[in-house]
Amino acid sequence: MKYVKNMLSQSAFLAVSIFMVATTSLATEPWAWKATLDGAGSGQAIVMPTALYIDADRQRYYVVDSGNNRLVSFSKEGNFLLSFTAEGKLQVPYDMVRDNSDVIWVVEKARNSLTSINIKAKEILTHIIYDGERTLVPDRLDYKDGIFYVLDKETGQIALLNSDLTLKSWISCAECTSGIVDFKLINDSIWALDQLDKKVLQFGGDGKLIKNFDVGQKVEFPVSLAIGPAGNIYVLDRHAPDIAVFDTEGSFKYTFLTKGWSRGELYFPIEILFDPWGGLCVVEEGNGRVEVFGR
Amino acid sequence: MLNYYRIFVISWLALAFPIAAAADTVCFNCHKKEAFSDKFVHQPLANGQCGACHNPHVAHFKGLLEQEGSALCFSCHAKEETTFKQGMVHQPVRSGQCLVCHVPHASFRKGLLKDQLSATCFGCHTKLSPKFQYTHEPYAHGQCYSCHRPHQSVFGQLLKDEPDKVCLSCHKSQDLQKGHLNYPGTLRDCLSCHNPHGSSRKGIVRDILHAPFVQGCKECHDKGEIQGSTQSCLRCHEAVATGMFARHSHLTGKGENKCLSCHSPHAGNEKNLLKGSQLQVCRGCHADTIARYENKLYRHPKAKEGSCINCHEVHGSNRIAMLRGDGNAICTRCHETQGKFTHPVGEKVVDVRTSQMVTCITCHLPMGSDFKYELIYSGSKDLCIQCHKRY
Repeated sequence: MKYVKNMLSQSAFLAVSIFMVATTSLATEPWAWKATLDGAGSGQAIVMPTALYIDADRQRYYVVDSGNNRLVSFSKEGNFLLSFTAEGKLQVPYDMVRDNSDVIWVVEKARNSLTSINIKAKEILTHIIYDGERTLVPDRLDYKDGIFYVLDKETGQIALLNSDLTLKSWISCAECTSGIVDFKLINDSIWALDQLDKKVLQFGGDGKLIKNFDVGQKVEFPVSLAIGPAGNIYVLDRHAPDIAVFDTEGSFKYTFLTKGWSRGELYFPIEILFDPWGGLCVVEEGNGRVEVFGR
Repeated sequence: MLNYYRIFVISWLALAFPIAAAADTVCFNCHKKEAFSDKFVHQPLANGQCGACHNPHVAHFKGLLEQEGSALCFSCHAKEETTFKQGMVHQPVRSGQCLVCHVPHASFRKGLLKDQLSATCFGCHTKLSPKFQYTHEPYAHGQCYSCHRPHQSVFGQLLKDEPDKVCLSCHKSQDLQKGHLNYPGTLRDCLSCHNPHGSSRKGIVRDILHAPFVQGCKECHDKGEIQGSTQSCLRCHEAVATGMFARHSHLTGKGENKCLSCHSPHAGNEKNLLKGSQLQVCRGCHADTIARYENKLYRHPKAKEGSCINCHEVHGSNRIAMLRGDGNAICTRCHETQGKFTHPVGEKVVDVRTSQMVTCITCHLPMGSDFKYELIYSGSKDLCIQCHKRY
């Protein structure tokens, strides 16, 4: 009887120990490297990628290979599919989306244009966006329900454009002393990042600021944010470089990833976003790749 | 038994002769007390508690100190340890070098300052002229605290408050209005025209004036919708516009006109009308970068002297970190022979970790490193095995 008791207590101790070790490691390293999207398959290294677009319907990743003036597509497993240069016409592409009509829209920095690429019609058109007399400087781009969301780098505000590219409205933060540097459309909200004030902002669909919280104690140079499946906010620090995680109320949870050049490490990262398959994708401008991390 | 007896005796002695008494009777037997006396005496010393900082027998740090630098000071000044990490932090404070400004024992000056306030400040701020043709009164009297805080501030240049509010704390707004009769609207942004320390112009107006400002306000302030926007500057400074349409640009910052993040539209101390020294302007947004590298053991001389523009474009660049050239071109401008006989670099040499071109900055971090030659890892082994794993 005593022997059985001992066995039971030892087993319980072992189980508790294993559980503690497992949970501790989860708390410190919750994300593990899953895949890398690089130029190996295309025979040309990706140079200074600046954005990732994910097409959930087609189950594809599109990497904006800014340094090579091309868009590179990958399967959801991370296998190279195609390299697209738009007949060599792209000039410093920076971000992209695909609209309901299958037209690809690319922010071209060198032309300060929101360029449309209609592959079926073999038509590439540059579009300069105006707000009255002033020219917008497109930076980050997203698309939802027939509306283009364009971050204007000059004002740090998000311009909402109709499908004919006329200005519909602006999303801006009157209380912020500096502009927005990145944003994500999540359900009916627009989550945005104020770089210099180091604040995360949440706007409602009507453009009104719902809430904001400070990330300055944990983040030095925020460049991008993403909202995880559980609602946590992930903030990418370009200079640290790492990712800081906050809960919906802005309480700091943990930081992960570190500077480096090897697999799973970051060097001059520029954008983060979640894919529909549970992966956290980090666009690394410095290492010329996109790394996908999974739990 | 003997050990218990020894502990008992030592404990009894410690109670009978507290540290204060011990310091008075023991330390000053050898150390001349007069050398530690002045108008203001550090409290532990005044209480005879030399042991608060020093170990009388043996210690890890010079002067038999229990701890080094600010760590020692913060062991008592605990509140300050938290405060001195917030906002913009004065460089010596950030580096934990309290003794750059303070003396540890006694001083003739309040706050245990080393010297007169202005002399302490000018000890490091050697580029500042102590006198101008027209000198701002507090500056002339060495009253740096009139505008600045010595340790940290949430405002740039360690100002006590927002710049205009600092000015208005002495200058009455009614009086100022009389001196600016043609100024449209409410007076603001004083530092846009005035040098708060002094100038060769009356009214301490900055030395170099923006050409359109000399011609009158309408050159910039009567331009319809673009007035106040970045484009009001770019219509004249066309070359800068090219930089703004690069992959990375400094089209960012506070206010509608992003140029004004760094430049004054009216007057400045230098030709490019920067709002301060180059390092001050860059620090406005890149305080984290400057803080990260300033205490590294090895730094590129240009980084050390705060010449950011030697390697970085200021308006825009298609390169990472807004460099002026790729990781080779930028270095070989000065280091002409590098890349020719050293480790292979260039387009045909690939970093096996990332498939990116190997450049000088694959191995070197000119901003600062704790390894010789500003190497990213130790050059004895760690750096090489990053790629050459079999060795």
